Amino acid sequence: MRPMCCQGCRAAAEWIEQLGLGGYYELRTAPAPKPDAALTHDSWRNADSARHVIRDLGEGLRETLLLIEGVRCSACVWLIERALGAAPGVVSVQVNAVSRRARVIWQDAKTSLPLLLQALSRTGYGALPLDARGLIDLRRNESRDALKRLLVAAFGAMQAMMYAAVIYAGAAETLDAASRELMRWLGLLVATPVVLYSAQPFFAGALRALKGRRVGMDVPVALAIAAVYAASVLEAVRGTGEVYFDSVSMFVFILLAARYLEMRARHHARDLTDALARLTPPFAERELDDGSFSRVGRHELRAGDRVRVAEGGIVPADGVLLSERCRVDEALLSGESAPVTRRRDDLLIAGSVLEDGPVLVRIERVGADTALAGIAALVGRAHAERPRLQLAGELAASRFVARVLTLTALTAAAWAIVDPSRAFTAAVAVLVISCPCAFALAVPAALTRALGALARRGVLVVKPDAVQALAECTHALFDKTGTLTETTLSLADVRTFNGGSHEAALRLAATLARQSRHPVARAIAAAHPGPDSAAVSDLTTHAGMGVSATIGGRALRLGRSDFALAGKLLAREYEDAVLLADDDGPIAAFRMGERLRSDACAAIAALQSQGITVLIASGDAPAKVASIAARVNVGGWCARMLPADKLAWLTELRAGGARVLAVGDGINDAPVLAGADVAIALAEGAELTQASSDIVLEGGRLEAIASARDIAKQTLAIVRQNQRWALFYNLAAVPLAALGFIPPWLAAIGMSLSSLGVILNALRIGRSDPGPRAQQDHAAPAAAWPRPAA
Amino acid sequence: MNILLLLIPLSLAFLGGAVWIFFWAVNHDQFDDLDTPALVPLDDSPRREDPPS
Repeated sequence: MRPMCCQGCRAAAEWIEQLGLGGYYELRTAPAPKPDAALTHDSWRNADSARHVIRDLGEGLRETLLLIEGVRCSACVWLIERALGAAPGVVSVQVNAVSRRARVIWQDAKTSLPLLLQALSRTGYGALPLDARGLIDLRRNESRDALKRLLVAAFGAMQAMMYAAVIYAGAAETLDAASRELMRWLGLLVATPVVLYSAQPFFAGALRALKGRRVGMDVPVALAIAAVYAASVLEAVRGTGEVYFDSVSMFVFILLAARYLEMRARHHARDLTDALARLTPPFAERELDDGSFSRVGRHELRAGDRVRVAEGGIVPADGVLLSERCRVDEALLSGESAPVTRRRDDLLIAGSVLEDGPVLVRIERVGADTALAGIAALVGRAHAERPRLQLAGELAASRFVARVLTLTALTAAAWAIVDPSRAFTAAVAVLVISCPCAFALAVPAALTRALGALARRGVLVVKPDAVQALAECTHALFDKTGTLTETTLSLADVRTFNGGSHEAALRLAATLARQSRHPVARAIAAAHPGPDSAAVSDLTTHAGMGVSATIGGRALRLGRSDFALAGKLLAREYEDAVLLADDDGPIAAFRMGERLRSDACAAIAALQSQGITVLIASGDAPAKVASIAARVNVGGWCARMLPADKLAWLTELRAGGARVLAVGDGINDAPVLAGADVAIALAEGAELTQASSDIVLEGGRLEAIASARDIAKQTLAIVRQNQRWALFYNLAAVPLAALGFIPPWLAAIGMSLSSLGVILNALRIGRSDPGPRAQQDHAAPAAAWPRPAA
Repeated sequence: MNILLLLIPLSLAFLGGAVWIFFWAVNHDQFDDLDTPALVPLDDSPRREDPPS
């Protein structure tokens, strides 16, 4: 067996091996994060809490939807299905690797929700039962509906084409009138479900648009479908003119296919980005009058309650610290990279992570009054003010339709004067040939292709209109902590006392540090790869304090200054440093720094070479921001910025005419991301941040931004080409149709060829540079320290 | 041309059947997760008995 980081992992690995689940290690492509041990599942025994998340299926069966944290690759899915499925009383388990959700059905008599959660956490996954409303999965229904409509349209179009081909071929040879009539009615038969069932979304969309007094793309499409179908039905009944059942069903099919692809890309990205529930813990430990603690739901907390927060726990609501002192990680809220020390009567913010504990907190503000909720509200406001870019496209489309309809009317009117018997046929021919098929396809085809090409590079586009904004942006605003720098700490500075050598001090410290999994300890251990000092005894880890050991007869302590020095005092500047000391006094002081992402310099240089002004906005101290800015060669930066300050800076930039691309990872970046023209969040960042972004970057590869921008620009160019081509085709074909020179078979061929041209052109997007497969990237961040589950 | 009277209804019947089968498949979760099942063949170990669902 491979070396393990700790006993817990060894036990887990052996347990997995014993269950015969060793295949997990062969299949997995990314290491799993560690489960949150502090989470106890017994709270879900409480009937009140459980009622929200469990659905009664009758006959003793219960169903629940779990959002599983830490599903990195498909091997995890395999393990979860096996481990959970083997639990007694479990009837079925369905895990989706992409949406990170497990749907579990179990027998109430044999097992319970806490038992299931325990089984999962033994396997190594934290799970959060989702609200029972999530069970009625709107998205699943949407995707199933779209698939059915698409298939009906495909079959209908295929058949209609066959019957139409008979008519077209028969026109040249001899086809008796009865057979011809039969083919027309058959065309009507197969095209009717396509128009009445498959094309429903267009009609519904058009109705919605008209009610909202807008003219989107749905209105022209619905109008064209309805007009051509109605005309064809009329002709079939009259048995005189031409029918266009093949054209209309093919038109519906092509548009539905484009929409289906778009929807799948959208769902995939959305799946990754909705889990706001995890920002604050669902439970808190409230102190009762007799001094004992009871677990209550977060929503039951009131101002004035005293709650206990365990080490590594998340503060449930804003409150005042009642214990002597503690250190909290507020990185998610303030962007400060180092944990901050809070003393008695200081304010703790909901959502911050306690580094050492347990502590007592008196709750001051709950729910919507907390700082976290304030940031969420800021996000909402910024969303409302977001620029609507696709409006321009819709405007162009609706103008196009207005022209087509005018043209159709003009044709009918002109023919009514010249030769009334041909007026109807010519008008329909104009409508069919100019029906906004190629025009409507121009944007979705290019966009679908672009989204696919971007996803292969690890760039997930959540909102499709971000592609245009990305191509047009002029400024890039980066967050520092966790975006330009990695989330792991690294050793920045070693200072020895009494003239000792750095090497010797570091070696001693690393020997001790290897005993702890604390991020700081790991940074020290990583700075000195070995060999470790010999003759180590009495290694002890002191939770929240440090590590102690006896090496060569010296009693050494590594950790917080008060712990390492055992009460002796040192200059105040070392208070937040990590100290190594023996009984005689301090040996060395270690300071932690941030490590720049390996591709940060290259990414920023690439953006700058594209003519984009790169700026850094950080909540961190000016000195730290300055040093990072200098290393990545960025001139414009601001430090000590609160989320509101960042948003103000962004608004100022945009008021000056800049199109701003914002990149961030923390909660503190959420407002600025929501207000930017195009927002990019890192996939390993906070969920709220991802929810307010347009693009999610997988694997933290900043370099992908520049190549994504190239693809976005190419996409815009192709869209313009496509639109020009569609316009050219229409300009050439419409006059001929209006003059009555175009028979239906030529109209059908023209329509499909122009659509095909648009699609083939769109396929060129992203071909020049195939880009690395996203799959390979999953293996790369193996060394990354998993973020504390927020 | 009388053969058409047999073949066309036959083709329509096939069409209807295909649509029905496809709808059944969609309604029975066959298209909900297109990523996970790709992994099942990679698993060598004998599959556990599926619980009745």
